[in-house]
Amino acid sequence: MSAARQVMGSGRACASCLRRSWLLGELSGPLDYCARDRQRLMELLELADNELLPAVAGRRAAELRDRYQRFGAGEPTPTGQAETCRHRAGYPRGLSGAWAPPMLEVAGGAQRLAKLTTAPVVAIVGSRKPSDYAMEIARDLARGLATSGVTVSACLTDGISVAAHAGTLEAHGASIAVMGGGLGVCCPARRRSLYGRVIEAGCAVSELPQKCNGRRWGQLAAERIVVGLAQLTVLVEAEHTPGELAAARIAQARGRTLGAIPGRVSSPLAAGPHALLRSGAELIRGPHDVLELLHSMNGPLPDTDSDKPPLPDRVAVSGLPGELQETLARVGSGCDTPEKLMCAGADPAGVLLALSELELLGLLARGDGGRYLPRQPLAGLG
Amino acid sequence: MLARAHTFTIEGLHARRVTVEVDIRRGLPGFAIVGLADAAVREARERINAAILNSGYEFPARRIVANLAPGDVRKAGPGLDLALACAVLGASGQLAPENLERVVLFGELALDGAVRASRGTLAVAHATQRAGVPRLVLAGARAREAALIDGLQVVAVERLNSAVRVLDGGPGDALPDERADANAAKQRTVGTLAPAFPAMDLGEVRGQHHAVRTLVIAAAGAHNLLLSGPPGIGKTMIAGRLPSILPPLSRTEAIDVTRIHSLTGAGVHALAARRPFRAPHHSITAAGLLGGARLGSVGEVVLAHHGVLFLDELSEFTRPTLEALRQPLEEGRVAIARAHHSAVYPARFMLVAATNPCPCGYAGDGDRCDCSEADMARHRRRLSGPLLDRIDLLVNLQRDTSRDLDADPLLSSSQAREQVASARERQARRLSPEGVLVNAHMDVRMLALHVRLDERCERMLSVARQAGLLSARGEHRVLRVARTIADLGDSDRVRPTDVGAALALRPDVVLAGSRVA
Repeated sequence: MSAARQVMGSGRACASCLRRSWLLGELSGPLDYCARDRQRLMELLELADNELLPAVAGRRAAELRDRYQRFGAGEPTPTGQAETCRHRAGYPRGLSGAWAPPMLEVAGGAQRLAKLTTAPVVAIVGSRKPSDYAMEIARDLARGLATSGVTVSACLTDGISVAAHAGTLEAHGASIAVMGGGLGVCCPARRRSLYGRVIEAGCAVSELPQKCNGRRWGQLAAERIVVGLAQLTVLVEAEHTPGELAAARIAQARGRTLGAIPGRVSSPLAAGPHALLRSGAELIRGPHDVLELLHSMNGPLPDTDSDKPPLPDRVAVSGLPGELQETLARVGSGCDTPEKLMCAGADPAGVLLALSELELLGLLARGDGGRYLPRQPLAGLG
Repeated sequence: MLARAHTFTIEGLHARRVTVEVDIRRGLPGFAIVGLADAAVREARERINAAILNSGYEFPARRIVANLAPGDVRKAGPGLDLALACAVLGASGQLAPENLERVVLFGELALDGAVRASRGTLAVAHATQRAGVPRLVLAGARAREAALIDGLQVVAVERLNSAVRVLDGGPGDALPDERADANAAKQRTVGTLAPAFPAMDLGEVRGQHHAVRTLVIAAAGAHNLLLSGPPGIGKTMIAGRLPSILPPLSRTEAIDVTRIHSLTGAGVHALAARRPFRAPHHSITAAGLLGGARLGSVGEVVLAHHGVLFLDELSEFTRPTLEALRQPLEEGRVAIARAHHSAVYPARFMLVAATNPCPCGYAGDGDRCDCSEADMARHRRRLSGPLLDRIDLLVNLQRDTSRDLDADPLLSSSQAREQVASARERQARRLSPEGVLVNAHMDVRMLALHVRLDERCERMLSVARQAGLLSARGEHRVLRVARTIADLGDSDRVRPTDVGAALALRPDVVLAGSRVA
């Protein structure tokens, strides 16, 4: 290891960590085969190089070992992005231990990653096929956290993770996206535009080499980094299946604090959070609960940039005219369509006017099938 | 010897005058037709030959040349038969050639000499009257249709013999019995003039008051409407009741509609009274929708002129079909250009469409929706863009388990019809100097003139613009709809409640949810 600690140019990882990343890229195919058993994949990723290689390389073992030993001489080293490894200052504190990747490629710069991870980091995880309600909740949560100077970490696939980044961007905050493939190939490709916006102020990280294509195992492995980066993991919505709860289970296994947002008890989509809440996860209702929890964990938040607006709260609501407040309360309690609101005996013209005004104020959004969803307004808008 | 007869051929919605010249001289016996005739006209040789012989006349065993002038106009259809046969009789001396002047002959011949009706009778009658020819001789079955045109002497003939008798100065055949005619017409018009749904009443719709109210708004201002909701919620049921609340056709509108329907070959025995309601199946092609599949065929958008075009399961229509709707929706007409002909048809209709909010249909209905984000995006792409851009009103229908079928109906068709009629009257009073009858057809200049907003309304719109909820085109749509809602409320001013309702009903490009960030 002494050779590995040898200092190289700034912004580079040390050779042994680069070699680990290269090896994972070469073993991507066999690892994907192993990914059918999530537990086995996690165990494999904890192995050291000399154990991992014979365990999964199969017929290519001899050839790979040969190249492994000559690594650095002939093998092309990744270019274009900055890397950081656990032997460099500023490597995220949470990523220590055999389970964590020793090295990360960083889009956005290693220094920025170091700065973002000195602030409290909260992972937002959940279903890839959530309800529109959960998407709105996740966005609100990310927006609230970003305005308070908390860094959000999430994958960049579908569903909740996308909402987390989108919410952060709406609040002009910075988030960390953990990619399941190399940074040179945005995987999934449909997130390319969101990826570009995330790395403008935030970071994207990956433990795989630049050109490595994304595979299933990569997404599973990315979840452990998302959780590893964060002090607190919040599960927004998930079915009660091993796949949807994977990130939450990793957080539990690593002893990280876990929070969950409840949903309707009858909804199978909310069964995951409910099960976690039963087994002792923290109840989260919004950004306030997360901030309170962070406060109890590591004291008051460090001073955030003064140009960021304060956390939006319900003051905007209490200043509204009576009929708008009433409509908002009704929508929040389930009368979420014009039809239902009108059935309650309200004047049809008044209902539509109130809904439009609330939508213009940013307090309501249209969800699936035209149902209205309450949302937190962004401070400074409307 | 030479004889000349006059007739018309159908070109688009109009009839073109055709002069039939027949020359008979010595030579090898034969019958040639020249002058850009299509297959149906060329086949006329055999029909004319048989009809003349079977009517007891002599078919000259000499060289016969028929020329259809003008030579550069394509002649289609069997409607030229009668004129050709009479010209042959005139040229062979069995009929005085001068009797063929100042009369138009139109009809198809049967082999036994009977005269059959041909499509486009009303257009021919209209053109005859405009051309200043005083008499029109045609098949008895369609004489009533032609008689709808004023200032024209319409003579019905059942057989070739009667036509010759008429041309020689004798009387025509009696018009067919009124009742039999009506019955026959009714049989032929199935699927054409009669709405696709039997007369239905809005009072049969229980619950869904929001959707019914919006339907009334759409009818009042002739706005395009999109109904979205899970399967079986009543989208088709509500849309099918639209004809029952629309005002009746005015006389000029009725003549337009009747002429179009006469073109399809369906018998028309009276001016159309109801607005057309066309509901083509989603497997329809662009040619079926616009017309022009064959020479002179009329599309669904043209048949829906002055009425309603209802597209059920909008997302199932093919993309080219929906794209094809752009021109008619924007300009109220459709120009068809094919290799050998081009024509412009009127097509000003109200578009009513129904769709599911997502591929499975259950988005927003509890947790039933099982569509992935990619499914949703695909569904949205199918609908969004050019077509959704021209929809003024969007209603989302939801299941309401608490008060499903025992809910009260909001209002009956007759009540709704009264509201619509009075709102349209207000619009017509305001807009008729501009040459427009309904709010949906107001252009930007008229919007600035007739839709005055107070400060609160202006503020709402500017906030909506800033929040990115409204494009420039979207804002115009909101203004038109707000004007209609004010008209329904008998208000000269556009009030904040009108703008608020128009905003709430505006079609969101995102039909289903904010799932995509």
